[in-house]
Amino acid sequence: MFKKNVPVLILLSGILLLSACTDSDNAKGNSESTNGKTEIKITWRGLGEQDNVRRYLEGFEADFESKNEDIDIVLSPITASEGDYFSKVALTMQSEETAPDIVSEDTFMLSADANAGYLIALDEYVDSWNEWDNYIENIKFGTTGEDESIYGIPTTTDSRGIWYNKEVFEAAGLPIDWEPKSWNDIYTAAETIKEANPDVVPFAMNVAKANGEAVSMQTFEMLLYGTDETLYDSESKKWNVNGQGITDALVFVDEIMNQRDLGPSLSIALNANYGSVMTQELLPTGGVGMVLDGNWNIGNYAEGGAYPIENIEETLGFVPFPTKDGEEPGFVTMAGGWSWAIPEKSQNHDAAWKVIQAMSTEESQTERAIIEGTLTVRNDSAESSDYTEKPLIEPATKALENAHFRPKNDLYPNVSIEIQNAVEAVASGAMSPEEAAASYKAKVTDIVGEENVY
Amino acid sequence: MEVTPNASSKKKMSDNTKSSIFLSPALILLLIFFLTPMLLTIVFSFTNLALTGSQAQNIKFVGFDNFIQMFNDAQLYNSIGKTLLFVLFSAILGQCLLGFLIAFLMKGKNAAFRRAIGITVIAAWVTPEIVVGFSWVAFLGDNGTLNSIITALSGIEPIAFLFEYPMVSVVLANIWRGTAFSMMAFQAALDDIPLEVEEAAVMDGASRWRIVRNITIPIVKGTITTNLMLVTLQTLGVFTLIYAMTGGGPGNATMTLPVYMYQQAFVSYQLGYGTAISLVILIIGALFSLLYMRFLKVKV
Amino acid sequence: MRIGRTEKIIHHIVLICLGLIFILPLLWMLVASIDSSAIQALKIPEKYTLKNYMGILSDPSIIRSFLIGIFLSGGQSIIVVIVSILAAYPLSRYKPSYKKSFLYTILFLTSLPMTAVIVPVFQMFLLFNFVDKLWAVMLFTAGTSLPYAIWMMKNFMDSVPIELEESAWIDGASVWGGIRRVIAPLMLPGTFTVLIFTYTGSWGNFFVPYILIQSPEKMPASVTIFQFFGNYGLVNYGELAAFSVLYSAPVVILYYLSQRYMSKGFSLGGATKG
Repeated sequence: MFKKNVPVLILLSGILLLSACTDSDNAKGNSESTNGKTEIKITWRGLGEQDNVRRYLEGFEADFESKNEDIDIVLSPITASEGDYFSKVALTMQSEETAPDIVSEDTFMLSADANAGYLIALDEYVDSWNEWDNYIENIKFGTTGEDESIYGIPTTTDSRGIWYNKEVFEAAGLPIDWEPKSWNDIYTAAETIKEANPDVVPFAMNVAKANGEAVSMQTFEMLLYGTDETLYDSESKKWNVNGQGITDALVFVDEIMNQRDLGPSLSIALNANYGSVMTQELLPTGGVGMVLDGNWNIGNYAEGGAYPIENIEETLGFVPFPTKDGEEPGFVTMAGGWSWAIPEKSQNHDAAWKVIQAMSTEESQTERAIIEGTLTVRNDSAESSDYTEKPLIEPATKALENAHFRPKNDLYPNVSIEIQNAVEAVASGAMSPEEAAASYKAKVTDIVGEENVY
Repeated sequence: MEVTPNASSKKKMSDNTKSSIFLSPALILLLIFFLTPMLLTIVFSFTNLALTGSQAQNIKFVGFDNFIQMFNDAQLYNSIGKTLLFVLFSAILGQCLLGFLIAFLMKGKNAAFRRAIGITVIAAWVTPEIVVGFSWVAFLGDNGTLNSIITALSGIEPIAFLFEYPMVSVVLANIWRGTAFSMMAFQAALDDIPLEVEEAAVMDGASRWRIVRNITIPIVKGTITTNLMLVTLQTLGVFTLIYAMTGGGPGNATMTLPVYMYQQAFVSYQLGYGTAISLVILIIGALFSLLYMRFLKVKV
Repeated sequence: MRIGRTEKIIHHIVLICLGLIFILPLLWMLVASIDSSAIQALKIPEKYTLKNYMGILSDPSIIRSFLIGIFLSGGQSIIVVIVSILAAYPLSRYKPSYKKSFLYTILFLTSLPMTAVIVPVFQMFLLFNFVDKLWAVMLFTAGTSLPYAIWMMKNFMDSVPIELEESAWIDGASVWGGIRRVIAPLMLPGTFTVLIFTYTGSWGNFFVPYILIQSPEKMPASVTIFQFFGNYGLVNYGELAAFSVLYSAPVVILYYLSQRYMSKGFSLGGATKG
């Protein structure tokens, strides 16, 4: 009988063992840990092994805890694709049991989450905090909710442009200090690369729904805002659904991916790991000529990053993205960024604010921008020599001169999904640019209502 | 004399009372974790529940809005179609038929041989769903095993299966994963048929096909219907496998209802609408179930 | 049945081909896991290594997610087996007036894919303050697999002759004694079938814990593997394969241990004999 029950016994003992473990885990759920310290749980979007934010936070944690013995910082990243991160964060913020004390919010989700009542307004804290004046003025706009309250303290901002591999350009006979003036210049360069070496992917951009917001912001909006059109008119509060720019942007995707066949294979382009394959493997090794992506990838090539490169400016270049036919001002970028916010259901608002304050000093901000390869949100950090001496900060900052921000509207996340659907449909050849634009119009009209489109 | 167990001879209890005692743990679990969510599904599918934005704070009953929206939602119809295709090809035609074929061919073969073949099929079945997803992504990849074999044999360029034939890919993976269940069920049933029955038919000069049709299938009919029903219903709810392999894409090519529900609820943050889609899934399951019970006469 | 020689050869060839097709995707997993430079395709490793396994086994958070997975799926399976035996007993042995309608209801519930209604389940968890509680997730998954298990178990129990039990009663056994001494041992094939079936179903499911559990330190292995490889790691094939092998191991072991009971357990025929 005993022998027959072996599997059951194994299972039972395993379970007993685990109940013991998990019970102790449950006890940790309380904000007061055993040694009387207040636990402050910080949640951000974890990136697995190559996580620059974690590197920054670990350094910060050690430093902060040595100076503040009453606070115990707990790093609790959510490892998920970008889209899944936002929904997971929203789920955790619904219950006092699971809400983190500090959460990293993408500025485009901030106003939706604030409207949902998930976040506390930081106005009172900010009023008595003199560091706030050192923040770049138009970036504060990104963390202000629809009700004019401040819901987040900005941590980073970014710009987008074309990364290109100078070795690939040289081999194809293209200038290594390349400056495209129009979309046509991009086609020409890509075709030149294709002729010179058919094994190299000439041009890559985010087109897969799996890559979520990156498709909307790094691809579609970069194109659309270069056609003199915008997604949303903040004056009339109406959404653009009829503009020629929408079709034009999708035509660019179609030209690259299908008509001229200048993009990566669909197996790469439609994969959830497109980003890491492209920027961490193909770009630094010359497997791709040009990648339309964010300036933050510099963090990958710095010391300690995923693919460190010495003298990076000899290998890689970063140029602002041109407008369609070279219209004024010549180049555009979308600017986004992240911020720290405090969930309503956190039990330790004051202690959380204390930690945010410490993370928001000039020194800490500069360090984060350098480790992460993002652009800083503080005027004083922007002037620090540690920061300005970093490679490629200059073109990335230059791109920011003509920065656009995403619409501050509750429904933007939903519209963004439709953008991703349209781009993927065109890239995979399922729809023509015209069909996709028509479908986009129908879907967005459904989402925002007929009275809110133009 | 009626034989009764010891305890009940002392205290006569009705069958109903005794049964209720035995059934109570099951009833409690079903009540809390099955019926409550079911009722909540109905309730929430009439709300505008959202994951974020001002709606998340002001949940309202919106009457039939979600269902009206569904009525006009081309993607919903598309997803229902994809779901039925997925069930038809991977469960009914794939797993059941292939499972029957394997079990049938194995009948009467050398025990060691049966075991060897059986293990390969069962190994796929015990592989966790999420691992099946990843190993099939690798198997079907541009540089994957299947493409290397095809290239080696025919010299044609690698095929991006997951992007060019996404539905076929997930159907194949699901057949691969689930066939063992049907195979084992049919093996058990076929082994119960005495060899003499079929041999007698062979003596009478009946053709192979006629024996299968007129003798084998009628005998295992009960197993066929039961198995068909179980496999169908299991396949209807498949999410992990498809999500891990294609995420519903490319485009919406593999957007079955469970994946579409996820998309609406957790990517578009429309929990209310997502719940209404869940309700559709439940209704389709219920219809299948009634259909099988009614026409295939599954008895209890 | 006596069949022709040619036909027999064809049968063998077809079966061998099918066997090969079934083994190929798995073979890749096994081989790549010990290959120091694994690629997407099946190939003979130039250098064998245990590095991939060491990388995973030395990560305490992965080990913890494994244990949590065993806790969740194992606990669920055991609850399901015990509760379904209890429920199947009266349905098989007694004649309660509601027997028929109860069985039809159970059969009907079997058809509802409860994992597809995760949103209301999450709301219910919020309401009852179950969010992030492993035991609650375990009970939920147990509840959802219960109808199926009760139904299978009832059919298995029908095939255990009541006479055996009666003779135990004559010897003075109680209902419990009868169940323990007579039914339980004879029910082993059915029990293991339900156990294995429940366990495999839940071990690979990442969706339910992914939504219902929030703390990263409480995530079971199914979620960890999805998060790790689904987003960033599909490039490191060696580690993916090693993780997959390790992750499949508990089910394979469980299956191996219970295999001798299984073939009998899979007889669904009883189901339709009424």
